Amino acid sequence: MSVETPDTIVDRLWAPFEAQSGSKRSLLLMSPLILFELLVFVVPFVILVRISVSEQAQSLPYAEGTLTLASYVEVLQSGLLQGIIVYSFKLGVIATVITVLLATFYAYATWRADGLRKSALLFSVVLPLLTTLVIKTYAWVPLLAPSGTANNLLLAVGLLGSPIQVVPNTLGVVVGQVYIVFPYAMLAIYSVLSTVEWELVEAARDLGAGRVRSFFEVVLPEIMPGITVATIISFAWSVGAYSAPALLGAGSDRPFALEVQEQMLLNFNWPVATALSTIMLVLMFVSIVCIYAVLGRFGGDISNAT
Amino acid sequence: MSDIELQAISKSYGDLQAVDDVDLSVRDGELLCLLGPSGCGKSTTMRMISGLETPTSGEVYIGGENVTGQAAYDRDTSMVFQDWALFPYKTVLENVAFGLKMRGDGSEERTERAGEMLKRVHMDGFEESNPTDLSGGQKQRVALARSLAVDPDVLLLDEPLSNLDKRLREEMEIELKDIHEEFDKTFVHVTHNQDEAFTLADRIGIMNDGRLVQVGTPTEVYRNPTNRFVEEFLGDTNFIAGEVAGVDDGYGRLSTEFGATIRLPAFDAVSPGARLTVSLRPEFMRIQRPDETNNSEATTARADGAGGDTMTGTVTNTIYRGSRIRYVVDVGGEQLFVEQSVTDQTGIEEGEGVELGWTTDDILVFSPDGSRVRGR
Repeated sequence: MSVETPDTIVDRLWAPFEAQSGSKRSLLLMSPLILFELLVFVVPFVILVRISVSEQAQSLPYAEGTLTLASYVEVLQSGLLQGIIVYSFKLGVIATVITVLLATFYAYATWRADGLRKSALLFSVVLPLLTTLVIKTYAWVPLLAPSGTANNLLLAVGLLGSPIQVVPNTLGVVVGQVYIVFPYAMLAIYSVLSTVEWELVEAARDLGAGRVRSFFEVVLPEIMPGITVATIISFAWSVGAYSAPALLGAGSDRPFALEVQEQMLLNFNWPVATALSTIMLVLMFVSIVCIYAVLGRFGGDISNAT
Repeated sequence: MSDIELQAISKSYGDLQAVDDVDLSVRDGELLCLLGPSGCGKSTTMRMISGLETPTSGEVYIGGENVTGQAAYDRDTSMVFQDWALFPYKTVLENVAFGLKMRGDGSEERTERAGEMLKRVHMDGFEESNPTDLSGGQKQRVALARSLAVDPDVLLLDEPLSNLDKRLREEMEIELKDIHEEFDKTFVHVTHNQDEAFTLADRIGIMNDGRLVQVGTPTEVYRNPTNRFVEEFLGDTNFIAGEVAGVDDGYGRLSTEFGATIRLPAFDAVSPGARLTVSLRPEFMRIQRPDETNNSEATTARADGAGGDTMTGTVTNTIYRGSRIRYVVDVGGEQLFVEQSVTDQTGIEEGEGVELGWTTDDILVFSPDGSRVRGR
């Protein structure tokens, strides 16, 4: 990049950027990303919103060129669709709470472990990520089914009188969903936790704080950014869950993703499907802003999360 | 009473023996420095007093009570950490009040006490600051206030001054000494810095390789070390190896490898042919031009008759070290160094032939295994 050797390819590519200054240069450097975002997110989203305000048509997915809010009214008035929205958020909240609690424990244990044990704990988290989502979700069926391994084992040792219907059932959906998002949540928390100085915990204990107290007083505020990220990942994914409810749920387990799929591919009702998607997107956005605001207040600096 | 008694404590991590069979008693109200090179086990020893480490074997008594099995939060000790370990998401005041909060003191009470402590360490006005915005010296003061606030029986300091620059460190040493006198607590201070230990300590415990080598007052350990390690660790010195050539009127003569002869202090165990190493501290040696010898009182024998000794050589280097000047003197191929105060300006320059003089009683003698050979 020096003036003396202006002939390399890097130099020639760099020259136009060099000529710019400050914000203009950073804008230029970001331009490929901005273009990418426009193409894969903004444009399809605009198309999606456009479809949602079109009229429904009998033989076509939607009536082109029309403009109406009828689909939104339909979604908001339909008891069935309201139930679906509520179910999605319930699943999101339950799966997130369980995931974040488990992930915090697991991350803490990994943080405190050393040598082989630490490697084993980390590897176990990463391992499921190497298998496809459908296979690892479906693997719960033989394990949790009424005549599956878990039930048989509990029946054999006499802890259960009769088998429990975990799969297909809402319980199975929660188990499957927690299992899917757990690695991401754990790694988000662990990445922050691993930078915390153990000396801080020692100082707290030295000053009279017990094990639990020292965690809440000293460790928790430090790892709040990681917990916030874990919460948002778990929540966004679980509200939009598709494979766990589809594979492990009963007929009554209908989150919005399944409904959108049915409206689009079976009913050919694209305006309702897109209107439902848009409403969910707005609700999710509001929820995430709330999560940010609430969790951010408990300490930590969100900008440290990365 | 808050005396500390360590009885045969050891700590090992797998194959690594961090602390090896240490017996140590710290008197009530004493400031004891544990001094040693890094990795010698001094910090681990202190952490076993605090309860942050449990000894592999041996027992810890504080104030006569066996606390070996007690966790850190149940012990009346408080520790100042090397990196100060201030809680980053709490204000300075909350940091100092933390121990009081854990103890269950009311909000008003602990704010008042924490405020007092901050005032004592001259950090009033910083109550609402974030610890991460403070300088090293300020963090140091806050950490000290936090530990003092809980009014511990024993205050443990784990190299708290090692991250400060020299001037600030010396300032804090004086302040620590004042605080020790004012609060009248038992202090255990871990350091690898000899000057720090000499400035602060009532007694110094010197550790090496997980073992406690010697415990004594600064003067005792400096003038009367138990072995070569202590002599070497506490300050620069000239070690001169040689063989006992003979004995004259009870004084051995050490024939050095570079051809000089050194008179040894009087002791019984001397036998011709024995290999010994003597230590000559640079500040116990005098340097002068040979022609000045006769009119200088330096070489006249002491009243006790131990006598003086001399050696001649050539100055190869002079190093100005602020208040002192160090001369490197070549004696028959061996480089010895001598230190003089700048006020004793002799004007000696590089290349000049000089005479080195010392009093025989200032020589310390060690056997080849490093143990001390004591005088009669």
